[in-house]
Amino acid sequence: MMHISQIQTSDETSARAPTRRALAKQQTRSKVLAAARRLFSEQGYEGATIRDIAAAAGMSTGAVFANFTDKSDLFQEIMLTDMIALGEAMRQAASHGVTAQDSLLKLFVAGYRFYQAQLPLARAAFSVGWSPQDGPLLRGSLPVQTLVGLISDQLVRGAQSGELKADDQQVLRTQMLFDAYLANYDQAIFQDWTLEALQERSREQIAILLAGIRKS
Amino acid sequence: MASPEGLSLDQARLAEVSTSFVAAPPSGARQSQKEATRKRVIDAARELFDRQGYQGTTIREIARQAGISVGSVFTTFASKGEILSQIMEDRLDGLYGELDQVVPNLRGSTADRLRSIFAIHFSFEARRTRLFLAHIAAAYDWTLSSAARPMGRNQKLVGIIRDCIVKGIAENDVDPNLDPQLAVDLLRAAYVWIYRMAALDGADAEAMTEVMDRQIGLIASGFQRR
Repeated sequence: MMHISQIQTSDETSARAPTRRALAKQQTRSKVLAAARRLFSEQGYEGATIRDIAAAAGMSTGAVFANFTDKSDLFQEIMLTDMIALGEAMRQAASHGVTAQDSLLKLFVAGYRFYQAQLPLARAAFSVGWSPQDGPLLRGSLPVQTLVGLISDQLVRGAQSGELKADDQQVLRTQMLFDAYLANYDQAIFQDWTLEALQERSREQIAILLAGIRKS
Repeated sequence: MASPEGLSLDQARLAEVSTSFVAAPPSGARQSQKEATRKRVIDAARELFDRQGYQGTTIREIARQAGISVGSVFTTFASKGEILSQIMEDRLDGLYGELDQVVPNLRGSTADRLRSIFAIHFSFEARRTRLFLAHIAAAYDWTLSSAARPMGRNQKLVGIIRDCIVKGIAENDVDPNLDPQLAVDLLRAAYVWIYRMAALDGADAEAMTEVMDRQIGLIASGFQRR
């Protein structure tokens, strides 16, 4: 779970020299976030209460509410921090692809690798992502839109290199690739699929979804 | 509800409570009592979920609406998620009856047959898209039993789609090297996206069908025999 602590420390870094008070507040926030991350992983989004999270962080519920408006706010913050790190991992992975098709596959696998050690948190994220209230917030957020943009970038790249035809359905195709990527988490979460199995399935899915615009 | 003749409902309940102290009632009676409670819970929950959403509804409110105690709710269902699952499952009976009638008579390409199947599905489901989303969300929730998996894990629908693909292979319309499960998974991923569109953007059955038609076309261009 090493990457988790990396994410949290990067969250703490600040551009300006912080005052002592700001520093204390920042420390409180990261304590709450660490406790929340653990409880959401252990008990799911529905199961973890603000009271439990406060207790696990060794502070009062009032102190938690001084930093976060509610549980949803707390969860979104954890998710968005992860999504930013995830986007960076995907961008890196995609840059090593030889073809657009290969880049897409590497991008998918980077995502599965990122969540491999924290699937319970991914499960909680799906629960929230499908909820009519919080789902649109998460899905419409900038970091998630950035992930979608990365997929679209690969299609554009493929068209520029001559690998793919110009696509009159690029928005739809991008969305379908993203949804296929997400849907495979079901196999990871509920059927314990390995990274290799997820990669193999993704390879076939990408091939089908690109078939209509592949040249030759 | 079967109540002894000449007794008011309260008296009937009282009678039942007192007999339960004296001797166990015939198991048939207990069974029908339990069924009745179950039905009241489902009716109350359906109305509340529809009105104020799944997350906004508590077990306590369901109990109040059903006119029973919170404890009685839990004698029939283990969790709120389980009640939702039952409601969703009950509704599907009508849909499957319709699909069973229509599907054997579908003509045209595999893609067109898939389009018809999903169009029927959407026209049936379009009215309760928010509830459908809540149902999917609940599947990832720790509180729901694994038996109560909604969405494309729904075996009946998966079976209908798979049969359609297999038939396409048999009729030389679909690439014989295609793993049918692969197509099923992609269609499922596309299909659930439509619900989000409907719930968030207020798309109606027609708009849902239109997008799904395009998605099926895109997937089919990847599995058609060439």
